[in-house]
Amino acid sequence: MRKYEGVDGGGQKVVVDDVTVRFEGALALDHLSLGLGKSEFVSIVGPSGSGKSTLFNVVSGLLRPTSGRVLLDGRDVTGETGHVGYMLQKDLLIPWRTVVGNIVLGAALTRGVTGRDREEAAALATRYGLGEFLDHYPHALSGGMRQRVALMRTLALHTDVLLLDEPFGALDSQTRLDMQLWLLSVYEDLEVAILFVTHDVDEAIFLADRVAVMSGRPGRILADLPIPLTRPRSLDVLTSPGFTELKREVLGLLHKPAEAVPA
Amino acid sequence: MSGFLRKTAVRLLLAALAVGLIFGVWNLVIFAFDLKAYALPTPQSSVAAIYDRWSTFQGLTVQTIEETAYGFVIGAAIGFLLGVVMSASKVVQRLVYPALITSQAVPIVAIAAPLAILFGFGLLPKLVIVAWVVFFPVVVNVLDGLAHVDRDLVNLARVMGAKRWRAFVAIHLPATLSPLFSGLKIGATYAVTGAVIGEWVASAQQGLGTYLQTANASLDTQGVMGATILLTLIGVASFLFVSAVEVIATPWRTRSTARRRMRPAAPTSVGHSDPETPDRKGARRWFGSLPAAAPRGSRSESQSRPR
Repeated sequence: MRKYEGVDGGGQKVVVDDVTVRFEGALALDHLSLGLGKSEFVSIVGPSGSGKSTLFNVVSGLLRPTSGRVLLDGRDVTGETGHVGYMLQKDLLIPWRTVVGNIVLGAALTRGVTGRDREEAAALATRYGLGEFLDHYPHALSGGMRQRVALMRTLALHTDVLLLDEPFGALDSQTRLDMQLWLLSVYEDLEVAILFVTHDVDEAIFLADRVAVMSGRPGRILADLPIPLTRPRSLDVLTSPGFTELKREVLGLLHKPAEAVPA
Repeated sequence: MSGFLRKTAVRLLLAALAVGLIFGVWNLVIFAFDLKAYALPTPQSSVAAIYDRWSTFQGLTVQTIEETAYGFVIGAAIGFLLGVVMSASKVVQRLVYPALITSQAVPIVAIAAPLAILFGFGLLPKLVIVAWVVFFPVVVNVLDGLAHVDRDLVNLARVMGAKRWRAFVAIHLPATLSPLFSGLKIGATYAVTGAVIGEWVASAQQGLGTYLQTANASLDTQGVMGATILLTLIGVASFLFVSAVEVIATPWRTRSTARRRMRPAAPTSVGHSDPETPDRKGARRWFGSLPAAAPRGSRSESQSRPR
């Protein structure tokens, strides 16, 4: 049963088509289907171990699913890497590379860094508030700054799909909110589609156009809620009645009594 | 900067104090056990012996330094290459590792003699022995460094579509540097011992090791201690030299910014010159129309940052 079969064009940037992943008998993802539109921001929330990271590994091409396909612009890219930008909670900055050196990592790994790459990286860093830190090594930066560099490294790949796996999960709540606002500003500047995994329901709703709620293991999409909040979004959104209503709905899905018992 | 100078001065002072402490204890032992000069000369007279016989010692020291340095470089190179090759294949690693451990378990003095038979009495057997003791800590540390490259970083490189060779150069190779230098520092101090053993069993030319032997045989304890001090100095100097190279080769461990600076990003440089090349278009797509340093970016930490 393929929900997205034949919708190759159809406005969808990425289609996860009926993906199942089985690890030595254990079912991690169970016939999961999900679409991501062009320039759309979709958050994925779900309990720990619901296979969110597994889903990302499938979409990024790191992991070949047991069955199902991943389509990018209608083309089957299952198990192929190099198509999307990927960012984790760990910033994974390379300690011996400067801020600029880290941002151009994608070029260094694929075709070699040119002067233009460095210029672009410097312009990107300057535009998004790290202009004075171009030559700094990562250890000299704060956690929030490091995550920004990590995101710029992802942007510098020039892919139009970004997978962000709890990118702000390790930050304190103040920095985290700053980073969310910052990400919104970056997102509004660029034509990118973002798939964003988080544990934080507020974060999921605040950032996204849609919130996909996943079930516990094996991972399935329980609900796919549109977030009708207007952009650009500011902090006021977080306290608006509409936001609270959406949050109630998502929390209700995440903590269904039947599923809450075993935990 | 003056803070740096003061720190350096304090460190040098402490180092001098440490040397003074060693010489002090040395004198104390002689005094306490009432040792005669033919049994154990004072450090002062040993240093004086170096000074008096410098014309002899000079050539010997150069000879021993050469053996140590060449052997060290050969051992380090072999160790590094072996580490890289072994890390590339689990099979090779399991095959070679026991042999490596065995090579170090064999008493070096015991195999030095057969090495002399194999390689004669020239420079070669000494180089082999020095390399023999140097390569092991290097292999072990390089292997360790390569094994501890973050899996997530390797995966990230894959997602970025990394070429194997480029990923090796950009991620794996630099990751070996810090552990490599740990291995090299251990090797540098061992190297002198290797050179001395090499001279003892296989020497046509004189070095500090051979001198030590003849001086010992003729109860010339001043000569023995003099040569020993020189050998120690070579070992310490090797260690310091490797440490200095380490600081230069791994700037990210001691500095917060790179030595070679990037020009401060001139906002106008992107999207300005040669207007319509396709790449410029690409750049514009990403940075929009660029009056850079957009105020929104300057939120959060950008105001309250260090320095």
